[in-house]
Amino acid sequence: MDWGLLFQSYGAVFSNLQVIFMTFLGALGGVLLGAIPGMTATMGVALLIPFSYGMDLIPSIGLLLGIYCGGMYGGSISAILIHAPGTPSAAATLIDGYPMAQSGQAGKALSVAMFSSFCGGVIGALIMTFLSPLVAKVAMKFTSAEMLMLAFFGLSVIVSISGKSIAKGLISAFFGLLLCTVGLDPTYSVKRYIFGMKPLLSGFSFIPTLIGLFAIAEVIAGVERIINGEESQQKSNEKITNVLPDLKTIGKIWPNILSGGIIGTFIGAIPGAGGDIAVFVSYGFNKSFSKHPELWGTGIPNGVAATESANNGCSGGAMIPLLSLGVPGDAVTAVLLGAFIMKGIQPGPMMYVDELPTVYRVFASLMLANLAMLVVGCLGVRGFAKIVSVEKKMLYPIILVVSLLGAFSINKSIFDVGVCVLFGVVGWLMNKYEFPLSPILLALILGPMCEQNFVRFVDLNSGNFWEILHHPIAIGFFVVSVGTIIFSIFNQQKINRLEAQNKAAAGQ
Amino acid sequence: MKKTKTKAFSNLIISIILLIFEVWAYFQASGFRKVKGAYVQASTFPQIMDIGMMIFTVILLIQSCIKVFGGMKPDDPMAEDAPSLNPLTNRGLAAALLVIGLCILYVALFDKLGYVLVSAIVSIIIMWVIGKRNPLTVVLVSVLVPLVMWVIFYKMLTVNIPMGVLQPLRDLLDKI
Repeated sequence: MDWGLLFQSYGAVFSNLQVIFMTFLGALGGVLLGAIPGMTATMGVALLIPFSYGMDLIPSIGLLLGIYCGGMYGGSISAILIHAPGTPSAAATLIDGYPMAQSGQAGKALSVAMFSSFCGGVIGALIMTFLSPLVAKVAMKFTSAEMLMLAFFGLSVIVSISGKSIAKGLISAFFGLLLCTVGLDPTYSVKRYIFGMKPLLSGFSFIPTLIGLFAIAEVIAGVERIINGEESQQKSNEKITNVLPDLKTIGKIWPNILSGGIIGTFIGAIPGAGGDIAVFVSYGFNKSFSKHPELWGTGIPNGVAATESANNGCSGGAMIPLLSLGVPGDAVTAVLLGAFIMKGIQPGPMMYVDELPTVYRVFASLMLANLAMLVVGCLGVRGFAKIVSVEKKMLYPIILVVSLLGAFSINKSIFDVGVCVLFGVVGWLMNKYEFPLSPILLALILGPMCEQNFVRFVDLNSGNFWEILHHPIAIGFFVVSVGTIIFSIFNQQKINRLEAQNKAAAGQ
Repeated sequence: MKKTKTKAFSNLIISIILLIFEVWAYFQASGFRKVKGAYVQASTFPQIMDIGMMIFTVILLIQSCIKVFGGMKPDDPMAEDAPSLNPLTNRGLAAALLVIGLCILYVALFDKLGYVLVSAIVSIIIMWVIGKRNPLTVVLVSVLVPLVMWVIFYKMLTVNIPMGVLQPLRDLLDKI
């Protein structure tokens, strides 16, 4: 590791006013967006990508990482105050956070969540700084065989993000992979599924597709829910007094923060396994090793600390495969991958050779994003509670017009706005019939990588695919992929069981 | 419990629709131009993905058939009611379809009317439909948000957004 360059990069990021401003702006937007139930960090990052279009790489990455870290913490605000997690990864925070708020400790719960999120994020950023170069060094030996199996490894985690129906998740994934083939074939420039539409020659643009699947679909579904009376307007009148936890509380919760941060980072580093899994694993782990497991779930700060540190630890973890392998760790990093590509930088092992200063600046940006989240959290902890009162009747039309503008601005193409609307309808229908959307996202990212390396490998080996058996790293990836699939099925069952237990406990 | 209204039955219908789409996509792919001497044709990857999709669609079809034609307990998640597809009885669905229609109209009028005007119109209609009836708030939010967004994109990010009939606004901004 080039320590001189590392410190120089940290200095460059922490002394650049534009980066600082953008990161703080992102953190503020992320916290606000994360606090609104249903608005995820993924959607926030997708919405802000067009804004970052005209900026340099590091300010734009700072903005996106700010929203990522801010969104992770923001989700806990509504989970604690109104029992409605703002983001899926805040789902476990309400187990102890809401009872704390109910017993008049809302301020303490929010401050513990914020402090733990910050510490978890810093742990994740530090582990990322030291671990990802090692991963990249191994990745330098990769040929098309390894890259193909790496793509397969990335796709194997689709099982873990498929939700309750693995069949539906895999249908979504294969549909996404099929969508990737629209346009000119990358090897021989053969037209595929064009139907005479010239803009389709380069395939569906990623960002308009993403905005459509997540933001537009949510707007359509939100309007439907409002009319059907299924969407209640949340209000919160809690008075919050504490901004940061006192030393006595920190003394009690630090083991939970440390273990949560480490668990979150490592789970986040598994492509596809995000914060929603990490928080439950961390909660279960900390509860198992607690001297008083019976108190967990009754409203103790340890429960909030264990989940929130894991939640934000994931942000650093998810960056490890993104930077070192070019494989996104979760949905947000999948969008971040799109931002890197948009700026002409291809994350992966070669990034550590060609763009080492950029890599170190990304590390520094993540650290700054966590700091920004803490500052924004401290300044706004009282006001954030009011976010849950934002009127959705105004919010949805705003999201719609901002999203469609975002879709247009990428290529300045009205065709992309049409693509965005089309995928909005597809996403709405898929949500309605319980087909998960995340597998499509992962497939859209990994599909081209999968096809290009498959064609290259088979062509180089004169049509003999089984030559892949002579590539030990590729075999290793295959074995890990199979292991991941088995682990994911097991883990999904565990999450379902935990959720069922929580439901039963809540019903008592 | 009426089986045709369950989630299991809707999954069965979706599986059949998906299978028709997959067969169509497979035959479309077989019509792609062939490249002489290539080990992997342009149609190979799409067809493999299509077959993968077919396999899991068949699995979903079988699962649904077992639920629909076999025994299904009333507390089975698949025995729950599927989302209604009749906009005459489901007002929420009608509103969602209206939003989709407005989005299509948005795309069609984006160039002619320009971003600010078309966004304001669509936004006002949606707010009105979903029950936001304070005219001042509705108009202010619907006009100001696209206007501010346009200024940000045009001035700060130098992205040229169509202004349509409001083109003079751009000329005015250029002069400032």
